[in-house]
Amino acid sequence: MVAAHSLILAVGLAVAATPNTWVTDGTGFLSPTVHQELEDRLSQHNAGSGHQVLLWIGNPQLDGSVEDWSARAFKSWGVGRKGLDDGVILFIFPGARKIRIEVGYGLEGVLTDARAARIIRDEMAPRLQGGDRDGAARAGVSGVLAVVGGVADPAPQGEQRLSLVKIILLGIAGLFFLGLLITHPSMAVFLLYSIASGVGGGRSRGGGFSGGGGRSGGGGATGSW
Amino acid sequence: MKKWILAIAVVLVLIIGMSVVGGYNSLVSLDQAVRAQWGQVENVYQRRADLVPNLVETVKGAAAFEKETYTAVAEARAQVGKVSSASLEKLAADPEAFQRFQKAQEGLGSALSRLLVVAERYPDLKATANFRDLQSQLEGTENRITVERMRFNETAQAFNTKRQSVPTVFIAGFFGNRFKEKPYFQARPGAETAPQVKF
Repeated sequence: MVAAHSLILAVGLAVAATPNTWVTDGTGFLSPTVHQELEDRLSQHNAGSGHQVLLWIGNPQLDGSVEDWSARAFKSWGVGRKGLDDGVILFIFPGARKIRIEVGYGLEGVLTDARAARIIRDEMAPRLQGGDRDGAARAGVSGVLAVVGGVADPAPQGEQRLSLVKIILLGIAGLFFLGLLITHPSMAVFLLYSIASGVGGGRSRGGGFSGGGGRSGGGGATGSW
Repeated sequence: MKKWILAIAVVLVLIIGMSVVGGYNSLVSLDQAVRAQWGQVENVYQRRADLVPNLVETVKGAAAFEKETYTAVAEARAQVGKVSSASLEKLAADPEAFQRFQKAQEGLGSALSRLLVVAERYPDLKATANFRDLQSQLEGTENRITVERMRFNETAQAFNTKRQSVPTVFIAGFFGNRFKEKPYFQARPGAETAPQVKF
């Protein structure tokens, strides 16, 4: 059991921290305007389709291949919704001059290896060779979104059921709170205060990224420039 | 007095019974995880095998006289067909069969990379969109194989660890063949990193 745990720990330590934005740029690769533009586009795309598409730029310690690191990062961040596995990460490793598109299981049929390779080879690599970093990142994101965007969203039913459960739970909580207000008013006020501050903390994160538990199996493509 | 002894005995039997049930159930769920992961491994190997005819046809179109290479790929492909019909239980029960399975798959892998080395000599072929797509599909599939094999080893390790710890080891022993130890994929010699098709 100890061996298994240390293995999991080692895997967890080997990748970068889970990002909380759609675009992560640890190297100053992008100009601030394009950084913000892509952040907004990916955030909007998530709001519209439910797919989680990330752009991650950095120079991590690659202990093995780029592919190996990317698959572990995808797993540890849980990009895409659980069960649908509809996440994509576009990695740029400026130090190694490599690009990797890692595709969740659920999108492998749409964003095939060949399509991912074409985005890298035809859209991104030539721009990077010409020194146009912003253009390359923009073209990469556009290419991925153009392919991924057309998929119909299969989630609404589950969400509807969830909201019904939520309403019932809220009703029970409301009744409980009313009872508490009558018997222990001060405790009720304290409860209300802590809930309110908790909600506020959650909201300040806005439409940032948080992993949905999606998985990938090494699908996608790698390229260099 | 007798009543007390009886009560203690009943409680003891209950506790032992519950731990046996718990141990058995956790073995079952870990065993299922290994089987599911094995399905993934078979899946990606199948994916690679399915790429072969298309890839061979495409390369043949431009380089018809490289006969040996095609024969080698066809033979490796046939070898894989022979071994991959075996179920995980059979492979787990017979380490040699597992070795054969692994060897056949590796054989196909290296035959395919030789095919691509041959293709390298034909610039016209390399420039076609069809060949480039097939090439990236093969790369992606080789990468999938690496990932799923690694995950298979992880789930197999979780199962084997549980199977060998006390008290599950007694339960597993009691059920004999139902909970055989799972085999691992060995890293290809000289391939600590993901196998990459070089061009």
